[in-house]
Amino acid sequence: MNLKELYQEIILEHGKNPRNLRKTENFNKDAKGNNPLCGDNVHVYLKLNNQRKVEDISFEGSGCAISMASASIMTDLIKGKSDNEAKEIIDDFLGMIKENPELKSTILEEDDKTKLMCLSGVKQYPMRVKCATLSWHTLISAMEDDGKQVSTED
Amino acid sequence: MNIDNIKKEFPIFDEKIQNNDLVYLDSANSSQKPKVVIDRINEFYTKEFSNVGRSIHYLAVAATNLYENTRSSVQKYINAKDKNEIVFTKGATEALNLVANTLGQKYLNEGDEILLTELEHHSNYVPWHYLRKSKNIKINFAEINEDGEIPIENIEKKITPKTKVIAINHLSNVTGAILPIKEITEIAHAKDIIVVVDGCQGAPHLKLDVQDLDCDFYAISCHKMYGPTGLGILYGKKKWLEELPPYQGGGGMIKEVKKDRITYGDLPNKYEAGTMATAQVIAFDKSIKFLESIGIENIIKHEKELIEYGQEILKKNNSVKLIGNPKNKGGVISFTIEGVHPHDIATILDEDGVAIRAGHHCCQILHDKLEIPASARASVGVYNTKSDFDQLNESINKCKKIFDLK
Ligand SMILES: Cc1ncc(COP(=O)(O)O)c(C=O)c1O
Repeated sequence: MNLKELYQEIILEHGKNPRNLRKTENFNKDAKGNNPLCGDNVHVYLKLNNQRKVEDISFEGSGCAISMASASIMTDLIKGKSDNEAKEIIDDFLGMIKENPELKSTILEEDDKTKLMCLSGVKQYPMRVKCATLSWHTLISAMEDDGKQVSTED
Repeated sequence: MNIDNIKKEFPIFDEKIQNNDLVYLDSANSSQKPKVVIDRINEFYTKEFSNVGRSIHYLAVAATNLYENTRSSVQKYINAKDKNEIVFTKGATEALNLVANTLGQKYLNEGDEILLTELEHHSNYVPWHYLRKSKNIKINFAEINEDGEIPIENIEKKITPKTKVIAINHLSNVTGAILPIKEITEIAHAKDIIVVVDGCQGAPHLKLDVQDLDCDFYAISCHKMYGPTGLGILYGKKKWLEELPPYQGGGGMIKEVKKDRITYGDLPNKYEAGTMATAQVIAFDKSIKFLESIGIENIIKHEKELIEYGQEILKKNNSVKLIGNPKNKGGVISFTIEGVHPHDIATILDEDGVAIRAGHHCCQILHDKLEIPASARASVGVYNTKSDFDQLNESINKCKKIFDLK
């Protein structure tokens, strides 16, 4: 196993200074997620405009370095994307964490892909995969906004 | 048996765990198993297996005797008055569900109150919560003090004329606080309140005498007592076990079954429906013999020294913050590191073979009270040594380095 791969500089930096850790004013979609195993929780807020573009996205919550970094990087990348683009990025990320060696989406810049790939270190730590995916699953449910709470224990 | 040689009794310490020697500091979660217990399971399945209590062939009779033999050993170990006060369950969780459920069926009424503490494990809260829903029962919580203990006044303060049951931890699996069960029972019984003790952490680490404690129920988790998983014990005073209704229905727990009526079996069968964890029960006898061969006084002394040593070195490590400071404390040290989430601590420690637990340890009420989402916990067993805490401290320092802490 390789701790250096898990705790890369970018992760530690985002973990310490998470971007978009706040609550979007006038959000129109949101969802809460939690990981009952550790008690970590996240609340994702979205503001989708009339063109179905993510005008703002933010999150509140507490968690480990991996989950905070993941939420931070996620919100950074999703901001400004259309809802369809966002869905493609989410699928791509979750696919990569689950099984794919690389990200496939053509929407993301190389730079952004590098950032996301920093989270791939969790693949070697099955107990930590949920830390990296919680905010993403919560984002899906915010976009669907079905009022359901996400739990990574399902 | 020499306490220094005890580690040798546990085969797992001969293994390399991800190329490391195992530093096992997670015994509050579940203890490792001595060879005698592992071998007994193998031997029973290999040479003696049969189901118990049903057939009359040789193996069935022999297995039944072995099974009942463990019941007698448990009775002696915890000093119960009667062998039939020992009920086998699938774990302490089931034991506590059994008590809450059957008291709910027969003894508790709408508006009655149950007193828990903020230190309770989810298994001593959720089963009572069901009664809140189904019977409109109210649950109160005795509060912890700043040292993470429950002073007896905090219990007394929350007793009302409607309190019918006090259900409490013997030894907190987070702060390590040991609760004064005997004193609590005295106060409770003077007011006709039933006392249920979650003894999961008490049974492996404290001297047990249920008659002296005088509690009405005591739940034990065998897998934390150097025994097999899938097994727990409920001690209950005979008068309660006789009076309360059965918990689960099925084979083995009945006397007579007719189309229009059923009569239930006598104790302890009444509470042991279906095929039980036979091999585990039989092997658990070896766990008790193992504990007896060391002597609980020696275990208590050894674990106390370990915890004092562990606390001392962790207190010196700045950025480590210990949770609670109970005067009367058992083998658990929970802590946080400012700026590092417990899950990150656990992952980094794991890389060095140091196994701890991170999370809320099934005590969310307590963590909410402490205003932390989670904590890291090092807990000991008979096989631990001071060097385990030296390694823990070293790995914590590595963790601090990764997170750039002083
Ligand atoms: C204090 C306490 N109560 C209850 C339990 C549950 O015990 P079991 O695993 O036997 O169901 C545990 C163990 O996790 C515990 O530490």
